Amino acid sequence: MGLFRLVDKAIEKGSSFLLVICVALMLSLSVAAIVMRWFDTSFLWIEPFVRHLVFLSTFLGGVIATGRGTHIAIDIINKKIDMSGPDWAKRLSNRILNLASGLALFWLVRASWQFMNIELEYGHEVFWGIHSGFLVGIIPFGLSLIAYRFMYRFLESFSKASAA
Amino acid sequence: MSAIFASIGIFLLAILGVPLFVIMSLAAMTAFSFTDVELSAVAVEIYRISSAPTLLTIPLFTLAGYLMAESGSPKRLLRLADAALGWLPGGVAIVSLVICAFFTAFTGASGVTIIALGGLLFPILKNEGYSEDFSLGLITTSGSLGLLFAPSLPIILYGIVAKVDIDQLFLAGLLPGIFLIVVLSLWSIKNGTARTVTRSFDFKELVAAFKGSFFEALLPVGVLTGIYGGFVTPTEASAMTAFYVLIIECFIYKDLHLFKDVPKVTLDAMSLVGGILLILCCALGLTNYLVDEEIPMQILDLMRQYLDNKWAFLFFLNIFLLIVGSMMDIFSAIIVVVPLITPIAAEFDVNPIHLAIIFLTNLEIGYITPPVGINLFISSFRFKKPVTELYRATFPYLILLVFALAVITYVPALSLWLVER
Repeated sequence: MGLFRLVDKAIEKGSSFLLVICVALMLSLSVAAIVMRWFDTSFLWIEPFVRHLVFLSTFLGGVIATGRGTHIAIDIINKKIDMSGPDWAKRLSNRILNLASGLALFWLVRASWQFMNIELEYGHEVFWGIHSGFLVGIIPFGLSLIAYRFMYRFLESFSKASAA
Repeated sequence: MSAIFASIGIFLLAILGVPLFVIMSLAAMTAFSFTDVELSAVAVEIYRISSAPTLLTIPLFTLAGYLMAESGSPKRLLRLADAALGWLPGGVAIVSLVICAFFTAFTGASGVTIIALGGLLFPILKNEGYSEDFSLGLITTSGSLGLLFAPSLPIILYGIVAKVDIDQLFLAGLLPGIFLIVVLSLWSIKNGTARTVTRSFDFKELVAAFKGSFFEALLPVGVLTGIYGGFVTPTEASAMTAFYVLIIECFIYKDLHLFKDVPKVTLDAMSLVGGILLILCCALGLTNYLVDEEIPMQILDLMRQYLDNKWAFLFFLNIFLLIVGSMMDIFSAIIVVVPLITPIAAEFDVNPIHLAIIFLTNLEIGYITPPVGINLFISSFRFKKPVTELYRATFPYLILLVFALAVITYVPALSLWLVER
């Protein structure tokens, strides 16, 4: 489990760092674009670049939310179990939740990988000469990180149980 | 047969607590796998969100709200509201309503209002002689009260999903939002005159409190003037707001340290934003499938058998949305339900702006509707009270808000007057 934990921590730290950078960039570039407009100047790459920063931040925010367990969910059963259920039921529901999420996301990673390959073949340059296929790559990249964290939580629950 | 089993399986995972964005993508991929469409279509829809021009408003307004909530801003604004309104009968309760509405407008009713302000307001209300039930009910209800005011996150999200002008929605929400505060204020005045001692108005304190919170008090005025004065678009307003709040909290009030506090607050805000936008991305695939299969039209045909006019439809819609609001959080509800009901509402000739306000008011009420209204759980956690006590404490407010909802639903001018002027 040690290696898995190390990777999970690296994902958490790397994503947090990248997320703060993304937000700082999207904020400063958006403000800069407004100020430049006052002087009738503009850079056409700012707008698509900022939109893709928001897109990347969506997945990085999702990575953080996965680690914190704060994703939005309709957890009617889980809430009831958390409030008054036995420990084994809590463990079981969390395992099902993490495993199902991880597997479903790996399925989605596969679908988005296919889309990325199609886009690499038929896509176009978006800004700074960056091909749209690489920008689409944000999806499998971000989803893989989230899927890994769900799977790690699933595996971790067994090592916690045996330690207890 | 396998489609039915798959649907039941996905439904069970949803109520077990699998994150909604996973449920959405799983449902979309399962649905597409029963057709000839390639699964990569789901990823195509996910990527489509990156072309939405107003997307930037969501992270930046949320960041601004979180920065303010983490700074000394709640205390300063509370002092100002108290100096301006605290002398009225029920004044402290009205102050609580106004200040919570302000913060909810900026933090998007994500529970931050109750967490950030609850601890400040609860002892003040108790000291003023309000009962525990009244105080708990008021704070729990206020946690979603400013949802109809600009620049609240649910309004922006609704605008993106329903493809309605966000600046028109900001304008439309103003009067209904004020109406909700007035209704609850009258209730507070009724309780206030009976139970608390009033104090006199102190102009010097008002001036001092205004000076103390000058830069923050100007913010809503600045945002609205910027957008409706035609100086900035909502997207630009979000960038200016976040930048302005960052500067005043870090360098003028010095409540937050740029390198120690701001990254932490940014991560808090972005984990919420990431959660919401992921649902939005993943829901696009599913809703497109539903629209392709003409599911809204099938629902409409079914409804036409029982409902024959706009007002009956609106009554049914309110009941439906109150149930949805009590089961789902507002962001999921907007993303899942709006694409289904907007074509149906259009067939019944409901104005899309009016529909938006009805929708958001319903979900605002959903925050305090048992059994799983999210504010009930946040207050239960914040004040360490059993959730059943919160059910009882919020009940009078629930009745008042349902009354206000009826007015908002059946008096469209309340939502449309400012827009059509």
